[in-house]
Amino acid sequence: MWQVFNKEIKELIRDKKTLFFMIALPVLLFPLIIGSMAFISGNAIKEAQNKVLKFAITGEAYAPGLYDALLAAEDKFSLVDINGSDDYAALIKAQKVDFVLVIPESFEQNLFDAGQQKLSLYLNDASLNMVYNRVNELVEDIAKNRQLQAFQQLGVTDVQQKALLEPIVLEKQDVADKRENWGEKIGGMVPYLVFLLCFQGAMYPSSDIGAGEKERGTLETLLISPIARYKLVLGKFLTIAFAGGVSALITILSMATWGVILSQGMAIKFVAEFMSAISALDFILMFLMLLPVTAIFASVLLCLSIYARSFKEAQSYMGALVIFIILPIMVAMLPGVSLDGGWAWVPITNVALAMKELIKGTMDYFALFSIFGSTVLIAGGLIAFCVYWFNQEKVLFR
Amino acid sequence: MIEIKKLAKRFAVDNPKKLSEQERRDPRLKGRFFHSVQDVSFSCDNGQVLGLLGPNGAGKTTTLRILSTALKADSGSIFIDGEDVLQNPIVARKKIGFLSGTTGLYGRLSGRENIAYFGQLHGMSKSQIEQRIDELADLLDMHSFLDRRSETFSSGMKQKTAIARAVMHKPALVILDEPTTGLDIMATQTVLEFIQRLKADGTPVIFSTHHLDEVSELCDRVTVINQGTSCFDGSLDEFKQLSDGNLHHSFMQALAQGESYVASV
Repeated sequence: MWQVFNKEIKELIRDKKTLFFMIALPVLLFPLIIGSMAFISGNAIKEAQNKVLKFAITGEAYAPGLYDALLAAEDKFSLVDINGSDDYAALIKAQKVDFVLVIPESFEQNLFDAGQQKLSLYLNDASLNMVYNRVNELVEDIAKNRQLQAFQQLGVTDVQQKALLEPIVLEKQDVADKRENWGEKIGGMVPYLVFLLCFQGAMYPSSDIGAGEKERGTLETLLISPIARYKLVLGKFLTIAFAGGVSALITILSMATWGVILSQGMAIKFVAEFMSAISALDFILMFLMLLPVTAIFASVLLCLSIYARSFKEAQSYMGALVIFIILPIMVAMLPGVSLDGGWAWVPITNVALAMKELIKGTMDYFALFSIFGSTVLIAGGLIAFCVYWFNQEKVLFR
Repeated sequence: MIEIKKLAKRFAVDNPKKLSEQERRDPRLKGRFFHSVQDVSFSCDNGQVLGLLGPNGAGKTTTLRILSTALKADSGSIFIDGEDVLQNPIVARKKIGFLSGTTGLYGRLSGRENIAYFGQLHGMSKSQIEQRIDELADLLDMHSFLDRRSETFSSGMKQKTAIARAVMHKPALVILDEPTTGLDIMATQTVLEFIQRLKADGTPVIFSTHHLDEVSELCDRVTVINQGTSCFDGSLDEFKQLSDGNLHHSFMQALAQGESYVASV
């Protein structure tokens, strides 16, 4: 068995294409893509924040204070003259202005007489922009001032002011600690990523190991060598499982490393705190849970691979299989799906949920036994099927 | 000494609609089964080379695959030096060396690693493997390319490596399935010389071929298979005597005899 394993690993390591997908892609490319995406979106937000907005205003005479404030912020706003009868939407569409502000006649009138004032802000809000926020900043200042004056006029004390503005406050006292809170938010992502990466990493070598042998004409020679069929299958199975596991681990380590490098200050502290809250035991348990899942992936992939006549056929089967892998993991990410319901009995989904619970720190360790046990049983059954499959002439000599 | 008696093997036909017109007309298609090999018997003594002849689809490859234990026979018997191949396939595999024209190598392994891998699977020790590879490399003149990756090999180099792998464990019987098909003249010559060398060493060889010149050059015995039945089994001289000494005519004669035999049954 180990002879087969050693040889397969040797071949795997010498295959540049597989190595690229297994190591180079997760270590270099993923962070590069994520990093550049963060950079680009960060830049876009920055640009929206700093861009000088072209604006038009009608009724500026009713709000000299606001108008002056807009003009004074030269680095933020620039005035464009328009006719009162122009179509605002057309102007904005033609990119002549970024927004049009319409001020009602009664804007400066006494608050007690005129009541609430409504300004109309015309803008194209479909794409990323900061127009509302930036205009609101100026408006908010004036509004706050007016409120204060009104309160003073009425003789309302500070305490009363607070109570008037917000008579009742419902204060949330979250008993979930930071770990549980964040665990719920990102705990579902971890198994999703790990499982998919593991599957992905196992996929490339597996098509080589089964269908590749058929295509190259090495299978027959291998089948008639005096080694028990189950040893042959196990050797190949271990190679695929090993490749999947290593690929998943490399990716996670690379993400963690890059995450620490890219994030700064607070984020590091937060990540470190979050990670240290998860005990070593939980990490080991997570890894243990991953083992039977990897075994399930590897045996299914090996069965498909040896059934296929060629590399190409194998890869098309595996492409279809990805959907069946993603679905049960996606379910585990849905809000409201937990181990309490019948989900504990759904393979793959239950492991994903268990990993989430482990990250949150709310795992019922007894339930873990049954999930681990049932997954091991399924994996064992699939490996047994693999051996049976490898003894079928109609599979080997299609 | 190899003795094969009344070998039979059928394959289930999953979807009869997928069969070609020719396959549907084949009398071996009976219900949901295709009786690829129906009744094949022949024998070969030590030091003899047996040529297995027959038209395409006659059942030659199936017969050789059963012989090499890659396929299981439905009935019949195979004995190699008294060892029952069908009962103890794993033991029998240690006695068999197998090579076909389409046998490939692991491209990312060197020639030496390819050969050594099968040595390991045959349970040979490291020193045994090293010694045997050295021996075979001398014999087949492989030293110049043995440590290069086999994906860079010419077809002749590939075939030499495949030969060395097939006889790595000093088999008691060598089975070759159309070993020269698709090879260039140089590589073909390598294979033919290799068969001659086995013959000289007293190792029996069974090989299937479509080239009658190879038969007249190498074979002591000839077996003709047609539609899954061995319709001729005898010495090369007996084969020649089927006609005027022309092997092509003898071959056609053997097929005709076989068909009348099948018809009479």
